[in-house]
Amino acid sequence: MARYIGKRLLQMIPILIVVAILIFSLMSFVPGDPVQIMLGDNATPEQIMETRASLGLDKPFISRLGSYLADLARLDFGKSYTQGTAVGAELMARFPKTLTLAFFSIIFTIVIGIPIGIQCAINANKLSDKVWMFLTMLGNSMPGFWLALLLVILFSVKLGWLPSSGDSGLNYFILPVIANSIGSLADIARQTRSSMLEVIRSDYVVTARSKGLSERDVIWKHALPNALIPIITVCGSRFGFMLGGTVIIESVFSIAGIGTYMVNGINSRDYPIVQGSIIYIAFIFAFIMLLTDLIYAYVDPRIKAQYISAGSKSKKRERGGIRKSYGKE
Amino acid sequence: MAKSKTSSNDNTRSVKPGSLPYIWGRLRRNPGAMLGLSFVVILFALSFFSPMICRYDYQEIVMKERFSLPSLTHILGCDEVGRDILSRILYGAKYTLSIGILSTAVSCVFGVILGAVAGYFGGTVDTLIMRALDVFQAFPNILLAIAISAVLGAGFDKVIYAIGISGIPNFARMMRANILTVRSSEFIEAATSINCSTLRVIVHHVIPNAISPLIVQVAMGIASAALSASGLSFLGFGVQAPTPEWGAMLASARGYMRDYPHMVIIPGMFIMLTVLSFNLVGDAIRDALDPKLRD
Amino acid sequence: MSNAEKNLISVEDLVVEYHSGGETIHAVNGVSFSLEKGKTIGLVGETGAGKTSIAKAILRILPDHATQAVRGKINFKGQELLSIPEKEMCALRGKSISMIFQDPMTALNPVKPVVEQIAEGLRRHQNMSKAQSIQGAIKMLETVGISEDRAYEYPHQFSGGMKQRVVIAIALACNPELLIADEPTTALDVTIQAQVMDLMKNLQKELGTALILITHDLGVVAEVCDYVAVVYAGQVVEYGSREEVFDHPSHPYTVGLFGALPDLSKNVHRLSPVEGLPPDPSNLPEGCSFAPRCPRALEGCRKAPVGMSKIGDTHIVRCLLDGKEDSHGTVRD
Repeated sequence: MARYIGKRLLQMIPILIVVAILIFSLMSFVPGDPVQIMLGDNATPEQIMETRASLGLDKPFISRLGSYLADLARLDFGKSYTQGTAVGAELMARFPKTLTLAFFSIIFTIVIGIPIGIQCAINANKLSDKVWMFLTMLGNSMPGFWLALLLVILFSVKLGWLPSSGDSGLNYFILPVIANSIGSLADIARQTRSSMLEVIRSDYVVTARSKGLSERDVIWKHALPNALIPIITVCGSRFGFMLGGTVIIESVFSIAGIGTYMVNGINSRDYPIVQGSIIYIAFIFAFIMLLTDLIYAYVDPRIKAQYISAGSKSKKRERGGIRKSYGKE
Repeated sequence: MAKSKTSSNDNTRSVKPGSLPYIWGRLRRNPGAMLGLSFVVILFALSFFSPMICRYDYQEIVMKERFSLPSLTHILGCDEVGRDILSRILYGAKYTLSIGILSTAVSCVFGVILGAVAGYFGGTVDTLIMRALDVFQAFPNILLAIAISAVLGAGFDKVIYAIGISGIPNFARMMRANILTVRSSEFIEAATSINCSTLRVIVHHVIPNAISPLIVQVAMGIASAALSASGLSFLGFGVQAPTPEWGAMLASARGYMRDYPHMVIIPGMFIMLTVLSFNLVGDAIRDALDPKLRD
Repeated sequence: MSNAEKNLISVEDLVVEYHSGGETIHAVNGVSFSLEKGKTIGLVGETGAGKTSIAKAILRILPDHATQAVRGKINFKGQELLSIPEKEMCALRGKSISMIFQDPMTALNPVKPVVEQIAEGLRRHQNMSKAQSIQGAIKMLETVGISEDRAYEYPHQFSGGMKQRVVIAIALACNPELLIADEPTTALDVTIQAQVMDLMKNLQKELGTALILITHDLGVVAEVCDYVAVVYAGQVVEYGSREEVFDHPSHPYTVGLFGALPDLSKNVHRLSPVEGLPPDPSNLPEGCSFAPRCPRALEGCRKAPVGMSKIGDTHIVRCLLDGKEDSHGTVRD
């Protein structure tokens, strides 16, 4: 297993290098001169030349790319053009805010979404199922930022219970978490329902029932563990996206997270910020995907067996064998 | 099990499950889907005829009507410079709808081509395309759209490309998966065995068989594209403020939401209803195509 | 069948209906039979005759979403299974009545170690601690011939025959009084079938379990069963002791089934299959449901449902001919 994890971590390096090269080149061809934007319209050509030189923008593309990659290897993301601060440090400072929002959002999503999905699957096609499915579709169709505004109108403006913006305490995160979760919550509920429906009619659930287990045990101990894989997939990618910074929610609630940082960078053509955030997002997403794959192995012994054989030396033969027996199920 | 007998409805009996007439037949009997479809069609029609129907011009500024609440004269009230919100909503509908539809068309065309090529040829081509899309998919759609629109600039057509490009991976993935299943079926082998050219096989055999899941993806894609479009405009990256795009209306109403919540509630409600309509239709089509739900 | 006290289970007029696409599917149409302690009855019939529905109705594990109605009486040791609360039924399932399923490939939970799948039944019914139940489960695995060192493996690591052994271990873990085996060997390789059948037979003898064996294999019935019920289109068409049914098959369908068996003692060029197909369970014929396929059908057979008539000690048959050779001469062929 450790071997598999190691292999996956190593595989991330080339991907990140490719992303870095790609985004660096892309930014170099983006219309809009960062120096012009920095200095405003009144800047003289001399000033512009000077600033370009001080930022190293006058050097040829290849040498700039080379030094950027060399810095990256030392985990140096460069300095912001406009703020002069180190991008790496700024990302580190903002990460806890984004993490808090993402962590509580995904917990909220899971704790509410999965039980709704299970209940709907148990009562499939009955009235309660139809009502919940409609509600989840409504949640799926609702712009998160609109819900955010409505929540602010109700809970901050009218009732005065919760702060409407800022990030200096956990209670500041209550409204953002709700607004941020609504879409994923609806997704998870629907995914849970459909994968539970598939599992709930399978033979081994009938076997579990014929053992005399209570309906609760049948659902939670036998059906759910088998329905988890697609649910975990959706949770994983949702969490990955949330960690990438939920731009709109962060901007509505003035949370100084990664999403707003990147959007500010885009607006001011602050290349190091944009490049840094993109590399961060690519890394965090790959990392979450690895985590998701590891959770798969924990949930399903057949997948674990595949990983172990994929990490071992005589991989080709064994892998084939296990695939075959996996396919039989 | 040939038990898809629907004794109540004769015209579905002769129709092949999964074909377009079949889907339409099922859709017609789904009240949610019909409601959604009619909402979209009526909205679209009203949007085009809005200058003729509406009592007020969507850009007419009447300062003394500022912030007026919904009433008989202004059914949905007025905004911060006294423009009639109903007229603006109806006029703006065509932006949301056409951005949704056109950007999905962009994603669909490029996604289907990429997915079909990857799925049909397999091997290195497949790996190359899919890895590239993997990298793309690591970024949340909205962030990707923001990044692309930063490159392209703001404006109606740019938004379409920004959202359209960010939606390509979904379509490509789905198409590839379908191609892979279709490719391994026997009738494709039969076609290649009588010396059909590769292109012919793809265009005449593979794509038609992958079409029904594509329709579901399109309906769902329009819904999420409309949602992204409003988000982009809300952040100021999409259609810009004086144009009554719903997201942009929300953005400018934000400053007044403490005192005049109707300015926030109404455009958001329309975004939600429109997206919901497409979702209802997409969901109904998916149900119609799901053989497990057929009995 | 006179003495109800003697019977472990008696099923009376059991009806099971499903609904599908607006139609009613008559899967079981008034099945009655009974079984004494420690005895074995074979339910024989073609696929789709309603045998599995009978079994699942006894355990009350018919699929909720498709089941339209279950009527009749199922008396198990004085309890009326169809009307007791679900909680009491839960207490019986796996403890007093248990079931072996047809397909061992799908009957086991793929994400749980096999030992745990046996142990949880023990914990549920025998009040065992976790450690005790694991011990018990390992013992049970050894009984069915699986060694302790494989106990913590998952179903995907076992072969089909081994899986069916696990399924048997699950079913017999709590020492049930009644075991229902639904085609327990059909999905297995021919070479394994005999092994699994022997294992089941021996355990049944040892534990004194009554067995309802659902099968379409007349050879297995001849070997194992005390009684035979031939099921056709959701009805018992012939019932009797093994000797009665095998020595004097009386319903034309039973006769047909025997005719479809290869008899090595005679030099027959061709087997004679039963012509035609079973009726559509959503649209059953008005009279005897076998009439459309019956080589000896009379005018009266098609008009009204045919009742059971007694022709031997325990031998009853659902046929107007009562098992007699009819006046028109011999059976076709």
